[in-house]
Amino acid sequence: MIDKLYRAFVNATHNVFNLMLSITEISDHPTEDFKCDDEVDIAVGIVGDLYGEVIYRFPVSTSLNMVNIMSGMQFNTVDVFVISAVSEIANIISGNVLTALSDSNVKCDILPPVQCKPYEDKEYEMKTSCCISTTIGDICLVIKLNRAS
Amino acid sequence: MLWKDKYELGVPVIDAQHKELFKRVESFLQILRSGDSWDEKVPKINETLEFMKKYVVEHFRDEEEYQRNINYPRYEAHKQIHDSMVNYVQDVSKQYEQSNNNEYLMQQFGGKLLAWLINHVAAEDQLIADYAIKKGMRDNDR
Repeated sequence: MIDKLYRAFVNATHNVFNLMLSITEISDHPTEDFKCDDEVDIAVGIVGDLYGEVIYRFPVSTSLNMVNIMSGMQFNTVDVFVISAVSEIANIISGNVLTALSDSNVKCDILPPVQCKPYEDKEYEMKTSCCISTTIGDICLVIKLNRAS
Repeated sequence: MLWKDKYELGVPVIDAQHKELFKRVESFLQILRSGDSWDEKVPKINETLEFMKKYVVEHFRDEEEYQRNINYPRYEAHKQIHDSMVNYVQDVSKQYEQSNNNEYLMQQFGGKLLAWLINHVAAEDQLIADYAIKKGMRDNDR
């Protein structure tokens, strides 16, 4: 299951970046490859057959590049507009994953994205993470889920 | 420019509305992000917001009618996405009015609107075009 989730999130990120940002070159690596000093962290809660959250760690430069491409405008600093736009992208990726999982009869919903800090808070039955590299920068995804009893 | 030719569905009425919507959102974002003071921006922001509230509803209605005409199988799910966005726009607009034109709310709305619109047209709406092509109905729209 954990491998299926990992692959589902990588594929969904690939599709969303391709469709929304016209970025096709994407690869996934171990999280140790993710180096970032300043980032925008977005949590998307998941409820249903699986529950927990997915943390999207967007480096500031990746966040700005994403919004610059979408808007065709120049954003130089992270503000509420940028946070809102990248939160929506995290929301879209998560929504696509859950749609893909529903084909395997795993029924879940997502909660509205919120800005967070990637704290290590508690144990999860399923936990995995990856660094996704793109031509506009890296992203780190941390997937933390339990199975509903 | 926000609009890209790859977003075209091949349904003239819907494509024309999408282009208009992108044009209005682009203009909204340019005002929202301009260097003018917030007080200077407010009249234009309010005017565009009012237009979009009406236009989004009108466009969604026309697009849903097209989907019904071609018996689009994902109609109900697509309508839910539209309804949810209409509710969001109305909620934000109400909060914005009650807050006496709070800038933070509008910047937050602008960011979400940008990403939502691009994904909706580039991904969700393309599924309608894919279905219409498969059924050989795209050129006989409406």
